[in-house]
Amino acid sequence: MSSLPEINVIELLELGVVRIHNRKPGGSASIELKRPPPPASNSGSRLDVIEGRAPDKPMAATPERADKMTAPILEIRNLHARIEEREILKGVNLIIPPGKVHAIMGRNGSGKSTLSYVLAGKEDYEITEGEVLLNGQNLLEMDPSERAAAGLFQAFQYPIEIPGVATMTFLKAAMNAQRKARGEVEMSTPDFMRAVKIAGTDLQIDTGMLKRPLNVGFSGGEKKRAEVLQMALLQPKMCILDETDSGLDIDALQVVSKSINALRSVGRSMLMITHYQRLLNHIVPDVVHVFSDGKIVESGDKDLALQLEAKGYADFDGAAA
Amino acid sequence: MTVAGLPTRRVESYHYTDLKTLLRVVPPLAKAASQASAPALRVAGAFQLMIANGAIQSSTAAPAGVIVGHAKGSVLSKRDDVLVHLNGAFAKDCLTLTLEGNVDPVIQIDHCTEGDAAHVVDSLKIFVADNASAVILETFSGSDTAHIGNHASYLALGKNAIVTHIMVNLSAKATTHFATNEYALVAGAKLRTLTIHAGAALSRSQVFARFAGEGAHADFTGLNLVEDGQHNDITIDIRHGAAHTTSQEMYKQIARGRSKAVFQGKIVVERDAQKVDAKMMMQGLMLSDQAEIFSKPELEIYADDVVCGHGSTCGKLDEDSIFYLMSRGISKVEAEIMLVRGFIAEVLDPIEGEALNEALNSVVDGWLQGV
Amino acid sequence: MADYDHIPMLKENIDRATVDSVLSLDVDKYKYGFETDIESDMAPKGLSEDTIRFISAKKNEPEWMLEWRLEAYKRFLTLTEPTWAKVHYPQIDLQDMYYYAAPKSTPAPTSLDEVDPALLAMYDKLGIPLKEREILAGVERPNVAVDAVIDSVSVVTTFREELAKVGIIFCSISEAIREYPKMIKKYLSSVVPVSDNYYATLNSAVFTDGSFVYIPKGVRCPMELSTYFRINEKKTGQFERTLIIAEADSYVSYLEGCTAPMRAESQLHAAVVELVAMENAEIKYSTVQNWYPGDKDGKGGIYNFVTKRGDCRGANSKISWTQVETGSAITWKYPSCILRGDRSRGEFYSIAISNGYQQVDSGTKMIHLGKNTSSRIISKGIAAGFSDNTYRGQVSAHARAKNARNFTQCDSLLIGDKCGAHTVPYIEGRNGSVIFEHEATTSKISDDQMFYCQQRGLNEEEAVALIVNGFVRDVLQHLPMEFMVETQKLIAISLEGSVG
Ligand SMILES: Nc1ncnc2c1ncn2[C@@H]1O[C@H](COP(=O)(O)OP(=O)(O)OP(=O)(O)O)[C@@H](O)[C@H]1O
Ligand SMILES: [Mg+2]
Repeated sequence: MSSLPEINVIELLELGVVRIHNRKPGGSASIELKRPPPPASNSGSRLDVIEGRAPDKPMAATPERADKMTAPILEIRNLHARIEEREILKGVNLIIPPGKVHAIMGRNGSGKSTLSYVLAGKEDYEITEGEVLLNGQNLLEMDPSERAAAGLFQAFQYPIEIPGVATMTFLKAAMNAQRKARGEVEMSTPDFMRAVKIAGTDLQIDTGMLKRPLNVGFSGGEKKRAEVLQMALLQPKMCILDETDSGLDIDALQVVSKSINALRSVGRSMLMITHYQRLLNHIVPDVVHVFSDGKIVESGDKDLALQLEAKGYADFDGAAA
Repeated sequence: MTVAGLPTRRVESYHYTDLKTLLRVVPPLAKAASQASAPALRVAGAFQLMIANGAIQSSTAAPAGVIVGHAKGSVLSKRDDVLVHLNGAFAKDCLTLTLEGNVDPVIQIDHCTEGDAAHVVDSLKIFVADNASAVILETFSGSDTAHIGNHASYLALGKNAIVTHIMVNLSAKATTHFATNEYALVAGAKLRTLTIHAGAALSRSQVFARFAGEGAHADFTGLNLVEDGQHNDITIDIRHGAAHTTSQEMYKQIARGRSKAVFQGKIVVERDAQKVDAKMMMQGLMLSDQAEIFSKPELEIYADDVVCGHGSTCGKLDEDSIFYLMSRGISKVEAEIMLVRGFIAEVLDPIEGEALNEALNSVVDGWLQGV
Repeated sequence: MADYDHIPMLKENIDRATVDSVLSLDVDKYKYGFETDIESDMAPKGLSEDTIRFISAKKNEPEWMLEWRLEAYKRFLTLTEPTWAKVHYPQIDLQDMYYYAAPKSTPAPTSLDEVDPALLAMYDKLGIPLKEREILAGVERPNVAVDAVIDSVSVVTTFREELAKVGIIFCSISEAIREYPKMIKKYLSSVVPVSDNYYATLNSAVFTDGSFVYIPKGVRCPMELSTYFRINEKKTGQFERTLIIAEADSYVSYLEGCTAPMRAESQLHAAVVELVAMENAEIKYSTVQNWYPGDKDGKGGIYNFVTKRGDCRGANSKISWTQVETGSAITWKYPSCILRGDRSRGEFYSIAISNGYQQVDSGTKMIHLGKNTSSRIISKGIAAGFSDNTYRGQVSAHARAKNARNFTQCDSLLIGDKCGAHTVPYIEGRNGSVIFEHEATTSKISDDQMFYCQQRGLNEEEAVALIVNGFVRDVLQHLPMEFMVETQKLIAISLEGSVG
């Protein structure tokens, strides 16, 4: 690492020709040059590069640098987090530029959901080291609702059931709360109903379901679809999708993927946590990361997912140990 | 009068509401109120009866099917209970309502206790004819002095009668509020009750109900909202005296500040009352560290072919739910209020009629302002 | 240091011996209701200072113990019998009772001829061999350490030497009073105060025997400790006193089995059991109680008024009560836990079966005092015949018991339409961070279940026994192996005559 001046990493990333390995304890990375990736299927942008692991130390956010490159939406540096005395995140580094879709794959229990909870601001975790910036703002200083207003959205792996609160009431409250926080005017009920109807139709969600209490008695797949519905309505800048594909039947996977793809835009980035390459056929990621034992140990293009599917995680075992 | 005969915690039914310590002073019996007061709740289109300091003060024109009358003597059945005894001893005149057919407007009876600290005793007897239906709302409010109100009502439901009876206690902060409701149900009668406590320093509401005819069903529900300095008690005694009768009891208690909420609920299934289905639930929600919630749900079952049960839970707002709502941009305070409303919805939502439902929601809103 | 070599051998034998010897000690003879021919040395009839002095003298007690008893007696004279339980019985005449009876010699051999044939049949069903005499004579060593009490005096204590090797003390309470006065002074009545309740105070004045167990720091008791109580003399009240102390990081499992011979007169039984668990210690206390419940008309039977309480004194300590109550005319019993230590845990698993004219009022109290304490209650009540079966339980978290948690499941089953099943929980959250969950159900055996079993060839009684065994399964699994087998049979016997 010392051989590579910090700023250069970003430049290399910009050039799209690095592949990052993290095989040493303590989280320092080695970077090797790789062949340029094939153009991503969904867009031909020159920014379709392999981004990845950012340096451990914060970068000097000089205005000059910000001008030179597109400022990332999400920057995670050397993030360590623990729960009940146990360290789960052991130095996560990740940079996601605008409009990019990154995927994280990794064994059960490796800490993927923990990462998404920590980003969303769940209180149970203690952050012992590192920093997270969302559009340059210090995310870790905000409470969960402020993070949401700042544009962060997490589609949960296990969406919680909230009895007594009608889904519709909740959706409206959430939308207007975010608008209020951003100084925008509240949405009128007809506008809101229209928006819900459109998003619901796309996701093939029966609006009758939205009169029921939030997630209560929803099937596994319905819950996941309701999460994507919320995402579509709230129009976040940074979406974290934690195993949104699990629990979906084959047709539903298509429907949901279509909605998610429709939400891809220059101003919106996504982080998809998944176990299945199948999802990545539908939503083609720009970058794939392998998560192991609390950190990213390998990053690559979408082919990395294919490689994982074929060989499993064994190659990466011990990578972080 | 003296307080010598008041029950202590050793009396099982007053285990958590020791009147001997809680009730130190009993003010003199109330005199007629000098001023008219505004009812605590407004329900558009309701037939209104104002009872001030125990006497009828005003009333709108009685709608079709409602006959207003008077009677002497105690309205409650004799039982070994101090509030029942006291009500019987002091209630002079009781208001009677006879209801026939489908009474359309909400029958709203507002009990107001006005002036200096007084001991107000009133009673009400309602007969609902066979096949009749009605919605009865009683409110309790008044001036903020150390009143004691001891209110009683007896409600007899005829065959297949359908009644909703709502009691809203909005008594002022310094007062003591006692209410005893007795219900008698014959074959096919359907009853829904809702007790909301959102007032008084000390409250106790008692429900005594007995199913005497097959096919009768009742939902007994309540909302015990307590805040700093309050002690509210809901005690119910539900007796299934006939076969094929069913009941559901659903009570929610929310406590904040340094307060006490008490629920005691007993379901008795008598010897030959086979095929009874009775389920009781008490859910307590603690919104502060000094909140105290007590619950004593009892089953006393003497018939074997029954399905009976009760549940009782107590806890604070679910952290994960708060986090979920916040992660969607809803502020913490809003998220909490939303969850409290969700918690309450189960007892408020079944109340039909938009105007009435709105009025009840406004009571909850008023209370929630302080969360 | 302790010699652990013998332990595996013992362990192995415990399993094998389950049915052979342990059961024979417990259920068999008393089910027959014969009287062991032991010449008693009786105290004067009735309750008085003289009786207490007599007991204390008989036990060679030090002066301070006599004083302690007399103090309790004075206290007792100021108390009145509690009436809140849902039980009804004729006034007990404490003056028409003997408070002490000791066997003068070892029990004479008895033969099956002395046994009531009706009870013999029941015995057959249990399939338990009669070996008690041999065990008591030391011929055959049971593989459970037994401190057998015949009418108030500890007759045989086995395995003491083995236990002593690891520093465990297991002896009669009388012996402990003589040998370990320091410990007795420190712990006796430290969990159940002398003036705790009417029956506990009476016990404090007149207790005659019981067990004392001391598990030193860091020791895992290598075997299940067990005491068998018998009530053998006519009109003898049995007042045992048990004290178990588990020092830090120790573990002990204690089994208590109780049987009593047939009696025409009702008999009073008022025991006190105190458990103390220090830091990280665990005590598991299991009881099978199948004393004489009275005859088919509700005459006779034991009156069982017991105070059992455990004190989780140390952080992370755990006390678990498991009980199977099938006997006694009246049961008044609430094994409780005081969760004083932070993160301590209390458990109560109970099966209470009542038939005939039995009255059961039993349950538990979980008193949460420390932070992050938790408790769990599983109670299964089965009422048949003309009986009344009440669960009465208290779960209370005090103001400082932050994050106290309780889960309670309380199910009642009614067999027949002349019995009653009742549930009376007191749930008290005195701070805002408690999480309590309580659930209770009452139902009968469904016709579908009965039909299914009968269709598979079981007769009605067998079907009921099978279904009831399923109903109580959640509790059964918490019993030590020794008791599990026995309990299943006991359930069948207890419910005899409840159908048809
Ligand atoms: N509240 C908690 N207390 C203790 N450990 C926890 C807690 N929550 C999570 N963990 C542990 O943290 C580790 C990471 O969990 P996480 O849910 O982040 O894994 P994951 O990578 O999302 O797994 P999966 O693929 O199964 O969803 C697991 O070992 C889990 O048991
Ligand atoms: Mg996960």
